[in-house]
Amino acid sequence: MPDWTRLIPAPVSEAWSVVATRAERAYGSVPNMARLMLLALLLIGVPFYENPLGGGVIFDDRWLAVFRLVGLYIMLGIGLNIVVGYAGLLDLGYVAFFATGAYLYALLASPASPAIDFPIEDVPWLFWALLPAALFVGALTGVLLGIPVLPLRGDYLAIVTLGFGEIIRLFLINQTNLTGGSQGLYGIRAPPLPDVPVINLTDLKSTALTEWYIFLVIGVFVAAFCAGRLRDSRIGRAWEAIREDEEVASAMGVNTIKYKLLAFAMGASLGSLGGTIFAAFQGSALPDSFDLLVSINVVALVVIGGMGNTTGVVLGAVILIGIPDFLRFREASDLLGLFDPIVPFADTHNWAQDLRDNRFMVFGLLLVVVMVLRPVGLIPSRRRKLEFALAEETAETT
Amino acid sequence: MADLKRIPVGPVLVAAIVAVFALTVALADDRNFWVEQVRNGLTTGSLYALIALGYTMVYGVLRMINFAHGEVFMIGAFAGWVVLTEVFGGDDMATALIAPAILVAMLVAALASASAVVVIERFAYRPLRNAPRLAPLISAIGVSIFLQHLFLRLTDGRFKQYPRIFPQGPDESINVGFTEIAYVQVFLVGSSIVLMLALFLFVQRTRTGTSIRAVAEDREVAALMGINANRVIVITFVLGAGLAGIAGVMYGLWLLNIKGTMGFLPGIKAFTAAVLGGIGNIPGAMAGGFLIGLAETVGREEINWITEQFGFGLGLGNEWKDGVAFFVLIGVLLLRPSGIFGEVVGKRA
Repeated sequence: MPDWTRLIPAPVSEAWSVVATRAERAYGSVPNMARLMLLALLLIGVPFYENPLGGGVIFDDRWLAVFRLVGLYIMLGIGLNIVVGYAGLLDLGYVAFFATGAYLYALLASPASPAIDFPIEDVPWLFWALLPAALFVGALTGVLLGIPVLPLRGDYLAIVTLGFGEIIRLFLINQTNLTGGSQGLYGIRAPPLPDVPVINLTDLKSTALTEWYIFLVIGVFVAAFCAGRLRDSRIGRAWEAIREDEEVASAMGVNTIKYKLLAFAMGASLGSLGGTIFAAFQGSALPDSFDLLVSINVVALVVIGGMGNTTGVVLGAVILIGIPDFLRFREASDLLGLFDPIVPFADTHNWAQDLRDNRFMVFGLLLVVVMVLRPVGLIPSRRRKLEFALAEETAETT
Repeated sequence: MADLKRIPVGPVLVAAIVAVFALTVALADDRNFWVEQVRNGLTTGSLYALIALGYTMVYGVLRMINFAHGEVFMIGAFAGWVVLTEVFGGDDMATALIAPAILVAMLVAALASASAVVVIERFAYRPLRNAPRLAPLISAIGVSIFLQHLFLRLTDGRFKQYPRIFPQGPDESINVGFTEIAYVQVFLVGSSIVLMLALFLFVQRTRTGTSIRAVAEDREVAALMGINANRVIVITFVLGAGLAGIAGVMYGLWLLNIKGTMGFLPGIKAFTAAVLGGIGNIPGAMAGGFLIGLAETVGREEINWITEQFGFGLGLGNEWKDGVAFFVLIGVLLLRPSGIFGEVVGKRA
């Protein structure tokens, strides 16, 4: 069997592994709160960076819309990472929780909602009140869907959870009297996010997108922080034990039922939170937004980035969610235009457009290629990498 | 739970289903409606059964769910469509040509699906044979997405129409006494049964079949006994893909419209059928396919009818058809993960 990794020239793969290790070391030392805060501040400042050559801000609303979606998917990825990366439970029905959160908000906030007939959509703090509610309802859904699948593992778990995701979608489409059917719930008023105070001092304009972006950056950091603390806690160690070998973990006194349900609940609550945020900035909840592709996207970004690792989730989200959106931009065409002299058919093709049109094919191929070349993901968690190296060694010696 | 496993669930379940159904037909007013449901259930069921064989055999030798199997089925449907429309002239086909045209289309479809799966296995699955568990599954999902959108792209996202070789309607049916059955349904059920018997005999009687069973039993020991495990794995994939490809042509002949994403749902349902029959169990997958097909049509109507008799009609419409398989899957995996016809998977599930 040929070793496909040889297709990549050695210097490239070596350089990559050096870069990956460095990057991982830099971010891996999470306890360094100062560094984390600095990073957060730098990211929060993104909408206000001005182009030194003039011409206003570098990242205008188009960019912020992309960043917002990437941020949302990072949040979902962090949630699913708890289930898949920490506890080793492959969940292909994550969209069920995403939909739960979205419909929770939409049912209360949409004027089209059949659930309520008083104008609750005017209550300004509804969104904020519903964020903790979404966490709670999400956790509840996670436990409810988790109980029946407790005895399942691996591929079977994946297919059954996929089934849950599809059943939720069928339910949303068919229970017209509750969910508005395939028309969905629409017309949700944008929730009042707090103004960014800096903006009033300068002449920079703050748009709703700026506020959403900052909201999501903060949310992602909080979620990542909590997930990291969970991983390093007693709970995290229990998850790890279950992931490695459930029988042994149970023999060692880990209450596997409790911790598996806890993993489902934690993952689901973040997914549901993401759903509420999604419904709020979309202004609607449509059954079509909650298809299998959402689940696959989230699983793929976790796995491609490297399971069990938040940095990997960020990288995965940027590659799988950010880049396809970026390809719509004129800048993308310009950037790819730089390669025209060395790319065939450059005179007849707009490669950015082609890539964008075929992004799902590229996405599928990317999944295969990354898995074949780096089955542990681009930035695997340190422990996983060790395990994999060990497994390879034993495989070679036997 | 322990006692549940000792009951011969398969026969008991089948007997119970038949009894409930007989009762419904006896009591319900609209007998023709029920017979129609059975006809449709058996016809889709025969497709699910053919596809399920691929899942079950591959799982048997590799312990892996070939997530892209539905797309292999789709490739077969498109290959058959090309043969029927481009080579044999589509709707204007001469009557004498119909039989050879269908045969050639099936053959080409089987070949196309088989070659596709050989490539997929070589590049997307084989390098991952010793990788962490999730890697082959993700890779298979990647293949599935790629193929779906490749074919959507090639067809501009539109449906392609199979020629109406089997005219549908009462005039073109066979009268079997109490009801009439369309030719296409007879053809589908009949040929799928022939194919399944052929496969069963192949696996049971031939030398290659024996080596497939040996690898399914224990790959390493089989390799020690001089069996080329890689070759056997490829053969298993090819057999499953060939049947799926033929099922693709049958799907087209019956339902006429084919599309790049058509493979997903039949794939999931066929997988359910394989699990229902006990994954790794070839006759089980065949029976499971028919049962799922019937559950979708008859079973759903049966639930509606029974709940109506008790005064709370659930009224699960046709749009719930696709959900039935998922409920069955969840139920089987929870109550009896070894499937209703045995074959112990135990903790693997």
